[in-house]
Amino acid sequence: MRLHNLKPGTIAIVSDIVGNSALRKKLLGMGLTKGAKLRVVRNAPLKDPMEIEVRGYHLSLRKAEAENVIVEVKEE
Amino acid sequence: MIKVALAGNPNVGKSVIFNALTGAKQKVGNWPGVTVEKKEGICEHRGKKMLIVDLPGIYSLSAVSIDEKIARDFILNEKPDVVVSIVDASNIERNLYLTLQLIEMEANVVVALNKMDLAKSKGYRIDARKLSAELGIPVVPMVAIRGEGIEELKNTIIHASHMQRKPVIRYSDGIERYIELLKSKVVENSILPEYPSRFVAIKLLEFDEEILSRAGIGEEVIKEWISSVS
Repeated sequence: MRLHNLKPGTIAIVSDIVGNSALRKKLLGMGLTKGAKLRVVRNAPLKDPMEIEVRGYHLSLRKAEAENVIVEVKEE
Repeated sequence: MIKVALAGNPNVGKSVIFNALTGAKQKVGNWPGVTVEKKEGICEHRGKKMLIVDLPGIYSLSAVSIDEKIARDFILNEKPDVVVSIVDASNIERNLYLTLQLIEMEANVVVALNKMDLAKSKGYRIDARKLSAELGIPVVPMVAIRGEGIEELKNTIIHASHMQRKPVIRYSDGIERYIELLKSKVVENSILPEYPSRFVAIKLLEFDEEILSRAGIGEEVIKEWISSVS
């Protein structure tokens, strides 16, 4: 499952980050590492951008960025 | 004069601390070649003079954005005597990532653990002394907006300026084997000898584009080197 497909309220665990090296580093640097728990807070129209909560703070991601976050859904 | 750099994520109270340290003695300019503001100021404390340089607010030092590149280049090339890593205590987990990267660059890091009041109201109980022991560097708890901890930060900077602490962040054994191998290659081939060899080795292992291009070696060389580790 990819992050941009998740609905608000969903809790998931990051299982991988794909995409080019600069984007991966950026996402890893923002705390989206393997095993990190996140919650989808809300989506803008067309899910672009989306807001998630990770490591105790809120992060907005473009759809094109969220597509590169592979997740495992824990709770819907 | 003691050269001090202030580093931290955006919104950690960096400007508040910069102003508290320097007062009216500030100079505003640009970083060379770019339209990013550079603020410098002088802080005098107990007969010592400190030049305080405010680095751009950044989340990491991977040098993908211009702000990150400015901060990384300043620390690696200008080698400040002390780097103050300003951490938002109410968002400590994400903030400490930058602190770890600074330690890895072998900067002489002092942590300014700001917004302790906010952390407390969020229900966090942070043991600054234990954090200091775990990281191997000084940690100063602060509420900078109320001036709390500023004097202690000044004292800590001066003390740290003549006491270099260079703790090593250890990875798992599997990763350490690659780091050790690349470190020996870095030393053997004098790759970027002006930078700490372990730091260069870790960046090569990350295929950090900027370090690779500065060193003038390609990813395939690194891949070949690490292929010998089983």
